Amino acid sequence: MEHSKPSSAESPDESPPRRTFLVRVTAGIAALIGVMVGVPVVGYTILPALRRRELGWADAGPVSTLPIGIPQEREIVLTVADGWKKTTTKKTVWVVKDEAGTVTVYSPICPHLGCGYRWMEGERRFVCPCHNSVFLLDGTVVAGPAPRPLDTLPFKLERGRLFVQYKEFKAGAAKKIEL
Amino acid sequence: MAGHLYRWLDERLKLESLKIALLEEPIPGGASWIYVFGSVTLFFFLLQLITGMFLAIYYSPTTDHAYESIRFIMDDVPFGSYLRGLHHWGASGMMVSIGLHMLQVFLYGAYKRPRELMWVVGVILFILTLAFGFSGYLLPWDQRAYWATQVGINMVGTIPLIGDALVRIIRGGQYLGQMTLSRFFALHTLFLPWITMVLIALHLFILRRVGPAGPWDEAQASRFSEPFWPRQVYMDAVAIGNAFLIVAILAITMPAPLADPANPSDTSFTPIPEWYFLFYYQLLKYLEGPWEIVGTVVLPILFFLALLLLPWIDRRKERHPASRRAVLAAGAGFLTLVFTFLGLSLYEVATMPRMDPSVLRGKALYQELDCAACHRIHGQGGLVGPDLSYVGDKRDRDWLIRHFKDPQAVVPGSIMPAYNLSDEELNDLTNYMLSLRKH
Repeated sequence: MEHSKPSSAESPDESPPRRTFLVRVTAGIAALIGVMVGVPVVGYTILPALRRRELGWADAGPVSTLPIGIPQEREIVLTVADGWKKTTTKKTVWVVKDEAGTVTVYSPICPHLGCGYRWMEGERRFVCPCHNSVFLLDGTVVAGPAPRPLDTLPFKLERGRLFVQYKEFKAGAAKKIEL
Repeated sequence: MAGHLYRWLDERLKLESLKIALLEEPIPGGASWIYVFGSVTLFFFLLQLITGMFLAIYYSPTTDHAYESIRFIMDDVPFGSYLRGLHHWGASGMMVSIGLHMLQVFLYGAYKRPRELMWVVGVILFILTLAFGFSGYLLPWDQRAYWATQVGINMVGTIPLIGDALVRIIRGGQYLGQMTLSRFFALHTLFLPWITMVLIALHLFILRRVGPAGPWDEAQASRFSEPFWPRQVYMDAVAIGNAFLIVAILAITMPAPLADPANPSDTSFTPIPEWYFLFYYQLLKYLEGPWEIVGTVVLPILFFLALLLLPWIDRRKERHPASRRAVLAAGAGFLTLVFTFLGLSLYEVATMPRMDPSVLRGKALYQELDCAACHRIHGQGGLVGPDLSYVGDKRDRDWLIRHFKDPQAVVPGSIMPAYNLSDEELNDLTNYMLSLRKH
């Protein structure tokens, strides 16, 4: 502590270059801490919110019991991770097996505005009760305001059972846009 | 641009005079590295405030989700482990810096008239810091948290007459559980921060009214003074920068611990408090029976009273250490005891026998197979099957292994299912069963 200047009232300042050095080091340290706390804090807060949920494969029952040519509504149990909270919810999907044994899985939500549609066995059409959109067995729109065919869902067959990846898509859009 | 904005704001907010008031505070005897610890403590408080707020984004203060939410922060949230590490090690950093700050004030006799109030507020801030440490320890709701808090609260129970009532009030009920976690959470994140912020403001207000004490040599103190800005600010910043880097490196290289989830039935866990409570934990080991109350009540009260009343105990005007031998000897004696007990405790922790890993695997298997659905250990679990609290005293290895392989062959009519366990799993589960003994 050789610093023995007279009282601050008489000579308040250090020599200018020395003073600049002190200010720069102080500002540098403040900036370093700001970055080392600020960047992680922002990533911590926004990245998990932007992360797409990983979808598991939900069991939709055996394939062998599907009737040929008649859609069947199958219940699936989804385990959804909401942050640290794991919740199971029940959803349904429409499953169609044609004569060749080819399976198609439809989202149970009408692509128009998100109502649940039904199968009318008499007319052999899917009909949405909300705005009367009508779809064929292959999902194409034949009447009503629906802007696109029924949304298909990814699935896989394992040991005779059907596994579905449940997704939702943007309602009212002409293209299938995953939410 | 920045200068233009500053002039615009200055014209409206009169910043220039504020800047002078904040930064031109004269320091008697000039800036010094020895004065940095108060600023470092304040920095750590702010770091705890910021990291704590962000931890609260994902934390859930309920006994059934607290642990999972911390696991989520540690494993799934980007930078989660780092931020929790900063909060964990920042707490230790704050303890170190507040200790050094108090030591400097003690050594310099800076608590003496006219700075008694600043000292008293400082001692209360120290007690609040300890309360932060204790209440925060419970929040992860892991084994360490549960058992260390159990022990900590039970110590209060040794207070005569009001002990039992106090324990219930702190726990929020008869047992350590959700009510305890809720009130510790509220205390840690709402009550303590606000009280602390108000008292820090008061501490700084008093500092600005009465001014810093400066060197203990009055002649040196009055010879010249130097403004707070820029040299003392620079020294504070360098100290803060280094302290932060240490904590950040610790946060990255040694993530904050998270033990198994709190399990009230698992009495095998040996709780160890944070290092800043360790010396006290060790002291209590030597005080048994009628002496226990000396450790849990008499000594803490005497210590904090002596600390609070220090400006009136050591009231002579003279601040030079050479003329305050008795007080400094008392302080040195206290620190010697603290570090001796801390050393002894660290030695004991380091040499503590570890649990057999096979028993630990067996215990994990017990949980995995959900044996507690039917069996009870120390009050936790179902009542369908026999209580296993002391099964190790009743059955031997051979019986247990035969029974696990085919329960009905050993106990006809038993409804216990035969689990298809590998030889290693059988061995682990049997070792765990055999570890469940009275002693």
